[in-house]
Amino acid sequence: MTLVGSDGPAPPALAPAPVASVVDLRVHFRSKAGIVHAVDGVSFDIADGETLGLVGETGCGKSVTARSFLRLVPMPPGIQAGGSILFRPHRTCETCSGNGCAVCHESGRVPDACATCEGAGCETCAGSGYLTVDLLEIPEQDLRTIRGNRIAMIFQDPGKALNPALSIRDQLAEVFYQHRSAELLAAAAIDGEAGGPAGTLIRRKAALRSRLLEDALLSLPPLRARRNKLRAAADDRIVAALAETQIPNPRKVMDRYPHELSGGMRQRVMIAQALACDPDLLIADEPTTALDVTVQARILELVRELQSRHRTSVLYISHDLSLVRRVCDRVAVMYAGRIAEVAPAEQIFSDPSHPYTRGLLAAIPATSHERGRLVAISGTVPELINPTPACRFAGRCPFEAPVCRALEPEPKPTRDGHQVACFIHHPPRDAADGVPTFDRQVR
Amino acid sequence: MRRVGELIGALLKNPTTVAGLTFIILLLGMAILAPLLTEPNTPDAYQMPRDWGAIAVPPGSPGHILGTTNVGGDVLYGVIWGARTSLRLSVIVVSLTVVVGVTVGSIAGFRGGRIDEILMRIVDVFLSIPELIFALAIAAVLGPSFRNIILALAVVFWVKYARIMRAQIIHVKENEYVDAARVIGDSPWRIYLKDVLPNSITPVVVQATLDMGNIVLVGATLSFIGLSEAGIAEWGVLVSEGQAGISAGRWWASTFPGLMVFLWALGFNLFGDGLRDILDPRTESSR
Repeated sequence: MTLVGSDGPAPPALAPAPVASVVDLRVHFRSKAGIVHAVDGVSFDIADGETLGLVGETGCGKSVTARSFLRLVPMPPGIQAGGSILFRPHRTCETCSGNGCAVCHESGRVPDACATCEGAGCETCAGSGYLTVDLLEIPEQDLRTIRGNRIAMIFQDPGKALNPALSIRDQLAEVFYQHRSAELLAAAAIDGEAGGPAGTLIRRKAALRSRLLEDALLSLPPLRARRNKLRAAADDRIVAALAETQIPNPRKVMDRYPHELSGGMRQRVMIAQALACDPDLLIADEPTTALDVTVQARILELVRELQSRHRTSVLYISHDLSLVRRVCDRVAVMYAGRIAEVAPAEQIFSDPSHPYTRGLLAAIPATSHERGRLVAISGTVPELINPTPACRFAGRCPFEAPVCRALEPEPKPTRDGHQVACFIHHPPRDAADGVPTFDRQVR
Repeated sequence: MRRVGELIGALLKNPTTVAGLTFIILLLGMAILAPLLTEPNTPDAYQMPRDWGAIAVPPGSPGHILGTTNVGGDVLYGVIWGARTSLRLSVIVVSLTVVVGVTVGSIAGFRGGRIDEILMRIVDVFLSIPELIFALAIAAVLGPSFRNIILALAVVFWVKYARIMRAQIIHVKENEYVDAARVIGDSPWRIYLKDVLPNSITPVVVQATLDMGNIVLVGATLSFIGLSEAGIAEWGVLVSEGQAGISAGRWWASTFPGLMVFLWALGFNLFGDGLRDILDPRTESSR
């Protein structure tokens, strides 16, 4: 299966499809006390080119959701209890070569056409006409061609996410060899189709398939020159990637080891690695939490700038609401393994709909307000072991009604374009059985 | 690796490792230069030459600087060629055990689950029997020969490496850079080679250094008991040959080879200890 740059027919100018859709994702964990429903029916879309913030407190399932994209949740103890993550690989729009036109809805990227129906819309692509892969279903082998290539990830602590035994050059070269070996061979002016043992050897080297003995052969004079050309081609790309993240003196930094760099620099290296193959989706798992506040600001700025240049979609995981407000287009608030509210970033702050979101916002200290007591949400996060069908926020919610303990609210659109999972906004249809209807104005 | 230079610097600054290294270099020099230091015995240089005309002569006798044993073996020849025997023994056993131990430990640690359970229970069985007794039993069953000593020691010593390697791998594979490697699309084998193995091999290197000494010690013990073929130029055999003469005041045949075993074990233990102090991850952050 090739997911990269397949030469299918140009897709028709359909409506822009979300680059990824999470549908009813359920990830559970086996524990001694029972099955923990860490993620329990989460659904959301990430539109092409947008930054979606996934916010929630520790243990609400936001990291598990993000890690599920690349199947990084260890199983066991994790259990894939259902749902799917649909991903649509994109490529640069041919009509405008990435500059933005009507065909690509000004985004510069178009999704690959569905291989089965060639854009007509069929079952495999959920009627969209676009190549759609379920990241939870595809074989590991195929997933590897997506990881680091179409979907990349940056981690919380760059100090831990870089191998201490490898130089920066080796860390970055890995991505290019892994996903761009054909381009490297071309750039090094090595005939990628060349037959004979020499051609095979250098191709294997470029694709990271060479073994110890082959490496030894490649370091000997007749093949050495070719290997060095290949290395030089990789180096050029590494330098360009590092320079893009505004690392000064990339040629020198390249030969450093992670422990010789500052936290901010390490995170820049991580970002360079993540964006090396120009992915469609970047998953940022609290990328600035481990950094100083001043460095944080610069890294954030960098992520935003690179995102707008590469037109990459970003899934930004954070527990820091004020930070999310600065970075994200839309925000999804998670609580106890479920989505509480999804809304445009500004609206989440100006007009929060879910009682949990309101509680969170009330708990943020703000300098613009008068001094007063910060409001805390009373109660504690519920146990996620074998939960009963009920609103997860029931028990802590100031607007709780009997129905909240009897039924589970689903996220549904409200008038102002939010998706909210709360009976205040979506009173149960059947009010005849004594279930009270809520008043939208309850505050 | 860039760290090699740093490592050598640290090793030369530490008095313990310098002392250990001195002994090791002297003994290894002796082993390597053995054919130049003494005329090799024919047909087999590893067999002690017998001078039946000079039985149990004291050190300083003409032609026998360190004296002879009570069967006419030249002690100096035994000491020098014994170093070669010891080097052969320790290198073969250490490389065998490291390869087997690292492989088993890696499979157990990296795969986990049932394979891990099974492999580690086997290792536990091996570990439950005391080293020397176990080696003794195997060597005794196989019959007295130097090759069987090598075999017995290999069977006994690999389990430690399996244990160490497994523990290291379980620890290392939890690191975020392993997840990061998966995220860029690396295969499990690639991750093992690039991320897990290089970051978990250090304690194995330290243990191998220590074992270079221990194996000679245990090997000499087995030879001393008589599990090696008679007449071989080996320190344990030599000590054993000289043993009968000690009460009669003929100390030299046992003392010199005994001293060699002591220096060999001491050298590698000092060096290994120093190496551990330098490579220990807990002290690494202070560099």
